[in-house]
Amino acid sequence: MTGMRAARPSVTLPLAYLASATLAFVLAAVATPWLAPELAGHYYHPRVLALTHSITLGWITLTIMGASFQLIPIVLARPLWSERLAWWQLGLMIVGVVGMIGHFFIGAWSGLVWAAALVALAVGAHLVNVALTVRGLQRWTFTARMVTMALAGLGLTTVVGFVLGLDKIFRFLPGALFANLHAHVHLALLGWVLPMMIGVAARVYPMFLLAPEPAGWPGRVQLWGVGLGAPAVALGLCGVPGLLVAGTVSVAAAVTGHLAWILTMVRSRKRPALDTGLRLVLTGALALSLAAVLGVALAFDLVAGPRVALAYATLALGGWVSLTIAGMLLKIVPFLVWYRAYAPWAGRAPVPALAELSCARGERLASRLLSAGIVALAVALWIGDPAWIRVAGSVVAAGALALAATLARVLTHLRRRAPRAADALAVRTA
Amino acid sequence: MSALAVTEADVLARLAGVRDPELGMSIVDLGLVYDVRVEAGRVAVTMTLTAPGCPLHDVMTEWVRAAVAAMPGVARCDVTLTFDPPWSPDRIRT
Repeated sequence: MTGMRAARPSVTLPLAYLASATLAFVLAAVATPWLAPELAGHYYHPRVLALTHSITLGWITLTIMGASFQLIPIVLARPLWSERLAWWQLGLMIVGVVGMIGHFFIGAWSGLVWAAALVALAVGAHLVNVALTVRGLQRWTFTARMVTMALAGLGLTTVVGFVLGLDKIFRFLPGALFANLHAHVHLALLGWVLPMMIGVAARVYPMFLLAPEPAGWPGRVQLWGVGLGAPAVALGLCGVPGLLVAGTVSVAAAVTGHLAWILTMVRSRKRPALDTGLRLVLTGALALSLAAVLGVALAFDLVAGPRVALAYATLALGGWVSLTIAGMLLKIVPFLVWYRAYAPWAGRAPVPALAELSCARGERLASRLLSAGIVALAVALWIGDPAWIRVAGSVVAAGALALAATLARVLTHLRRRAPRAADALAVRTA
Repeated sequence: MSALAVTEADVLARLAGVRDPELGMSIVDLGLVYDVRVEAGRVAVTMTLTAPGCPLHDVMTEWVRAAVAAMPGVARCDVTLTFDPPWSPDRIRT
């Protein structure tokens, strides 16, 4: 038994990342109604930047890093190179992100650069760990290519962000401030998050939906669309308008390919019923289509201004990414906890099914509040009324708290020492 | 019950009670069981998982081994995990 346990991948490592990320999400969501007056103004405000980075680094990046340590061994069938390095990375990320958010909030740029350096170190550790994990990979699948592309995007985004921080002190960067800022944002969104999400989706969604693995032209469109489109958009935003248009079309094509695959998987699935986690993931895909339409409209100057830009960012980061992540957390966290608490009893005692670890009502409440709240927040930000932003932000905050409470309830199973006889049986001796 | 009384059908019926903890479906209905052989009370099960690298591999094989080993007339159960051919949703019994 001891040998069997030692061979198992770590459960506490991804759980520590996911718990930290969820805490960041709750704090950001609770801060949203409180920052309504700032959010009703221009997005280039220190406190709005603090809120944005608590979402992008604290919530999204920490979640992706933690989920990578759980999913990469499954998706690529290889063990993680160094768990110890991953723990150091978590410590650096937490201190760095807290430092960045705090210094953004008070507008202290020298402190911000030091905190950003810690985040850059953590990102470096992540890139090294994952690179050494996948080295010598025999088969470069769609997912492996997309994950590699995403890691390159993460590295570039971090470098550009750090340079932007230095520029706040030394003022050495050429070009307009907003052009560089928009390039940084889109490197993060299209170069880091998009390829990671669509790469992992191609491998993980079929597993959850019990659908055939997607194939065909949408895959090529996604690879080329993101590979060429993300850098083109970033460069285009830095002052090459032609590249911005071409890049936008490429990324829009990639998003279309991704959505086409999701539709195919949902239609061909053999999973009889979709649980709340999967419904949230699909709601996230719907938000992605809205964000993509708005992004194209912004790129072609059909709409313009900071209000639309905030609505676009909310639909992308809040609607697509956050709902997808929330849905995946409702799948991953119960699995990790079940694996830690009950897998050792496999075949020896009755154990509960995964669904029994969570609270279905809590999941549904979190899903409805987050979905409705984020769409309402995007509309309120577009309108620019602080009162409506406060109301919509409060709904999002309630949803984030419901999600955190639901996940916390799942974590309570870690304290159990032995399965209870009253629990439903996953092994039924017919 | 003598050891010879156990048949492949008996073993499959027993395995129908082993459920995937995430999907809540029987591993037989999921098409994870590729082959069952019984010889003089010794049972050999060849099975797969929905994905290579799935962390459930030790759990599922232990469940299968324990479920079959507990059957009257079974002296020993060996479980072999294979990914050739790989599992696909087409194997699911609807």
